Amino acid sequence: MRLTKPTLFTNIPVTCEERDLPGNLFNQLMKDDPSTVKGAETLMLGEMLTLPQNFGNIFLGETFSSYISVHNDSNQVVKDILVKADLQTSSQRLNLSASSAAVAELKPDCCIDDVIHHEVKEIGTHILVCAVSYTTQTGEKMYFRKFFKFQVLKPLDVKTKFYNAESDLSSVTDEVFLEAQIQNITTSPMFMEKVSLEPSMMYSVAELNTVDTVGKSESTFGARTYLQPMDTRQYLYCLKPKQEFAEKAGVIKGVTVIGKLDIVWKTNLGERGRLQTSQLQRMAPGYGDVRLSLETIPDTVNLEEPFDITCKITNCSSERTMDLVLEMCNTNSIHWCGVSGRQLGKLHPSSSLHLALTLLSSVQGLQSVSGLRLTDTFLKRTYEYDDIAQVCVVSSGVKQS
Amino acid sequence: MQNNESNAKDAKSTSDEDDNRDIVQQKTQEEILFHEETIDLGGDEFESEGNETVSEDSNNFVDKLNEQMMESVIISDSPNNSEDDTGELGCLQEIVEQMEAKDNKKTEAEVDKEEFLSNESETEHEETPKDISEIGTDDQASLKEESIQEAVKEEPKMENNISVDKKPNNIDESKPEDQISPPSTSKPSSEAEPIPVCTIFSQANNVSTQPQLFLPDGFEPQMVKSPSFGSIIETPVKSNPQVVQPSPSLSKFFGDTVNTNTLASDFFDSFTTSNFISVSNPNASSSVPEQMSSLANGGDGSCASSNPTFPVRNGRPEAGGPPSSLEVTQSPKPFSQIQAVFAGSDDPFATALNMSELDRRNDAWLPSEETRNVLISVATQQYSTVFIDKENLTMPGLKFDNIQGDAVKELMLRFLGEQAAVKRQVLNTSSVEQSFVGLKQLISSKNWRAAVDLCGRLLTAHGQGYKKSGQPANHTTDSLQLWFVRLALLVKLNLFQNAEMEFEQFGNLDQPDLYYEYYPHVYPGRKGSMVPFSMRILHAELPQYLGNPQESLDRLHSMKIICAKILENLEQGLAEDGSMTNITQENRQASVQLWRSRLGRVMYSMANCLLMMKDYVLAVDAYHTVIKYYPQQEPQLLSGIGRIFLQIGDIKTAEKYFQDVEKVTHKLDGLQSQIMVLMNRAFLHLGQNNFSEAHRFFTEILRIDSSNAVANNNAAVCLLYLGKLKDSLRQLEGMVQQDPKHYLHESVLFNLTTMYELESSRSMQKKQALLEAVAIKEGDSFNTQCLKLG
Repeated sequence: MRLTKPTLFTNIPVTCEERDLPGNLFNQLMKDDPSTVKGAETLMLGEMLTLPQNFGNIFLGETFSSYISVHNDSNQVVKDILVKADLQTSSQRLNLSASSAAVAELKPDCCIDDVIHHEVKEIGTHILVCAVSYTTQTGEKMYFRKFFKFQVLKPLDVKTKFYNAESDLSSVTDEVFLEAQIQNITTSPMFMEKVSLEPSMMYSVAELNTVDTVGKSESTFGARTYLQPMDTRQYLYCLKPKQEFAEKAGVIKGVTVIGKLDIVWKTNLGERGRLQTSQLQRMAPGYGDVRLSLETIPDTVNLEEPFDITCKITNCSSERTMDLVLEMCNTNSIHWCGVSGRQLGKLHPSSSLHLALTLLSSVQGLQSVSGLRLTDTFLKRTYEYDDIAQVCVVSSGVKQS
Repeated sequence: MQNNESNAKDAKSTSDEDDNRDIVQQKTQEEILFHEETIDLGGDEFESEGNETVSEDSNNFVDKLNEQMMESVIISDSPNNSEDDTGELGCLQEIVEQMEAKDNKKTEAEVDKEEFLSNESETEHEETPKDISEIGTDDQASLKEESIQEAVKEEPKMENNISVDKKPNNIDESKPEDQISPPSTSKPSSEAEPIPVCTIFSQANNVSTQPQLFLPDGFEPQMVKSPSFGSIIETPVKSNPQVVQPSPSLSKFFGDTVNTNTLASDFFDSFTTSNFISVSNPNASSSVPEQMSSLANGGDGSCASSNPTFPVRNGRPEAGGPPSSLEVTQSPKPFSQIQAVFAGSDDPFATALNMSELDRRNDAWLPSEETRNVLISVATQQYSTVFIDKENLTMPGLKFDNIQGDAVKELMLRFLGEQAAVKRQVLNTSSVEQSFVGLKQLISSKNWRAAVDLCGRLLTAHGQGYKKSGQPANHTTDSLQLWFVRLALLVKLNLFQNAEMEFEQFGNLDQPDLYYEYYPHVYPGRKGSMVPFSMRILHAELPQYLGNPQESLDRLHSMKIICAKILENLEQGLAEDGSMTNITQENRQASVQLWRSRLGRVMYSMANCLLMMKDYVLAVDAYHTVIKYYPQQEPQLLSGIGRIFLQIGDIKTAEKYFQDVEKVTHKLDGLQSQIMVLMNRAFLHLGQNNFSEAHRFFTEILRIDSSNAVANNNAAVCLLYLGKLKDSLRQLEGMVQQDPKHYLHESVLFNLTTMYELESSRSMQKKQALLEAVAIKEGDSFNTQCLKLG
């Protein structure tokens, strides 16, 4: 018998009032019913435990428990009983028996009991194989097996999405935001005990799933601590490269390992399940050979008044020293001040230079800073930088007030 | 769940075959040792690949997610495949397979005893998934199934009854004819109908006074015959004068000046006005056999004789109310014309006395705008007729005639033989007094099916029997109470669909003819709803058991609004219904208390409904509200909330609530709170997967209160999870033997039979022993499914 957690018996309260026909009869019946809560008989949820009635569902990450009972139905004593329980999955066979020692003898109407546990780590068909061998009184050796087949299902659906936050101007760090959607695809409510991101060695992580209000942090999910069937929750994490990795060249290129999600949930009466995702991988945004990032920019500027921005230009190539030319192209709204096509001088690999630029906007509203072009004179290759940042352009009157 | 079933079945089919093969193997190989062979189910893919992969497998969750589940089972080459496929087909297949399994069993039993053993215990194991009895979490589906079966059973019975039903129809036909010549008869005949209702208080002094009361009028109690009565009553026919019997109370009131000083409450059916119990209705005393005999004499004839001594009646041919009106299609008129002869409304006596505090307090209800208008027009248009649309009237009738049947006895016949079954003695409908007393007897002896049937008989006597649905009815306090009891019992029996069928006829319990104001002459001065509050609760709760909790919530919300409004009225110094009636402070206090507790009851239902909907957050909120209305239940409710969180899996919050309980109970000492604290601790350990600690706490409770059924049962359950099947069984069996009256509860028996099935293939014998125990102690309402004798 599979030992899922027992359930609580619920009763159907039917009450009446003293002046009704049955008088206090209904209430008395409920008081006498052992499954009601004494003193609060109208409460539906009782205290009586009932054993699981069916095999139920089993999900990846949960623990499969089963009661194995070998009962001697005959009227003869049998000897040297050996009970063995194996679990056959699609890829392997595991021995689940607690002991492999044979029991010397089993009298009629006695039984050998064992409770086995196994954390389910594979999806798909599992077969529990119970084998019993024994010797009869006549010395005949007997052997029989039984098979119990069950399917392990997937409990959760996890989707992830990365956001690169490179416009963080206060620091040079390359923050990454991870949004994880976790959906309960079982048929029962699921209490999410823990959903955490275990970062890889390069990153440190901050969980953004609580809102801090005066002294105490509150979950963004409110009082609802559980996921109903088919409900989805979104978790958000902010990852920062650790100092030593951030400093080193200031570049994280290509595919990086971010970490993995560790999910622990509980269902009925604390039935526990745990899963980890595989390593989440992220393709670092391709900066190409030359990376341009903004160091300073005002958030609000006056219409038709020049303002300054500071750019940082980094040579990301591995060993090539570059000779760069800066071009500035005006757009409909953004007008660059100064000379276009100037030489920036030599830039060694993994080094960077700061560049102060002046521009003005002729159109009000949120304007995108675009139109910078860097040309590597050696390779004759041009890098275009559009939508570097946005500024809010207001008429001068507004700003002053 | 179906998946599981088929899975389990798969297991069975494959294993059956494998067993067969095993025999062969067994015979060929003499030395039997455990090989590390893989199961011959699968092909080569099944070779185990060593253990290194384990950790990786578990981690590669996302990869796994992308895999197709279920279908991608690699067990392919084995001959079992075909079996698998058929197994997937569905539940029907299961039956076939079971039969196959049985066949196997038979043949194999001879082959080898050991084989017999394996097969037997195997089926036992497989049966568990199949036996999804209705106790479980997924109540609804299985419950439905049950009631469907029930309905099917009844179908033929109803048909049988058609012939019987002709009789009452005849009565109906003959009645109108009689009415035409002497119009006065209509009143008596219809009024006489509720006779058995009053027998609830069969007090001795009444019996003695009864003849005197009747003498002046020369009336004998008379009843319209109900189909179910005739066949059963065998009392000797008494020679009664075949006269029409008006409601004795009314006759008293009109016919005899001596009686003018009787309490006005004599007008009312007895039991709701508890102040006037014994006096109230002389019919209460008339012994049932007598009524029956007069009945048996032939109800038809009785209608023919009229009583000329009542000139008052001549003026109001409609007074008899809807049941006697000629054409059903015509919208029946309320008792407005009665006003002409009835000076009652001017009678301060009647009004003052009838509108007793208790009545007003209990019956208060706020009708909808539409209904209120009708009621006002009934009250104001005294001399003209108010026409009311037929749709706005309540015309209930029994929807099924008989749900009698004793499942326990049927099982006994099947498994223990006729001799044993004969010994089973339970009260049935006919073996008790055909009155409220008998009804109560049936209810308290847990013969609810018989009780439902008896309610049906009494209602038939009210003219609201089988096939009376849609025919105009005359409502009294008693008829509605009977309906309430019948419907409540149907719900208690989990016969929700039957209850729903009959409840439908009452609409939303707000039709004008369900208010006392609709009958100003029968209930002069009395206000409020005839529908008992508990019936409203029942009505609101019912849809949730039929898979429509949203409807339940809607109904409960509108009840909540009315309760709150009544409380508001009281607080503003008005009467419950918002009228300017003077109420003493004391009475006001009592009324506030009553309505607060009623509001609390509504909140309770709401919380239960939300719990059923699995909307735990709202349910917990609602239970918190309930605590405000029932502060004395705080520890129990907090524990309950804790258990809700345990059920979700939120152990931490559960623990918090259990700690709150300990704080609350800290102040009060006493056995009960001590038990509660221990119980909660045990549950907490259960939630932490610590069965041995949980067992320790349950045992601790037993040390304080050895008869605690819950602790006993739960301790036994813990023992099973600790691998101590025999100990667990011993504990449960001991408990059942110790006090079978209380412990033969379906949850306990269910656990017991489950463990019997696990223990041995001989479980059948033990289950039958349980059946015998049940047969001695339990009534016909016992749910036999928990015995799993299927």
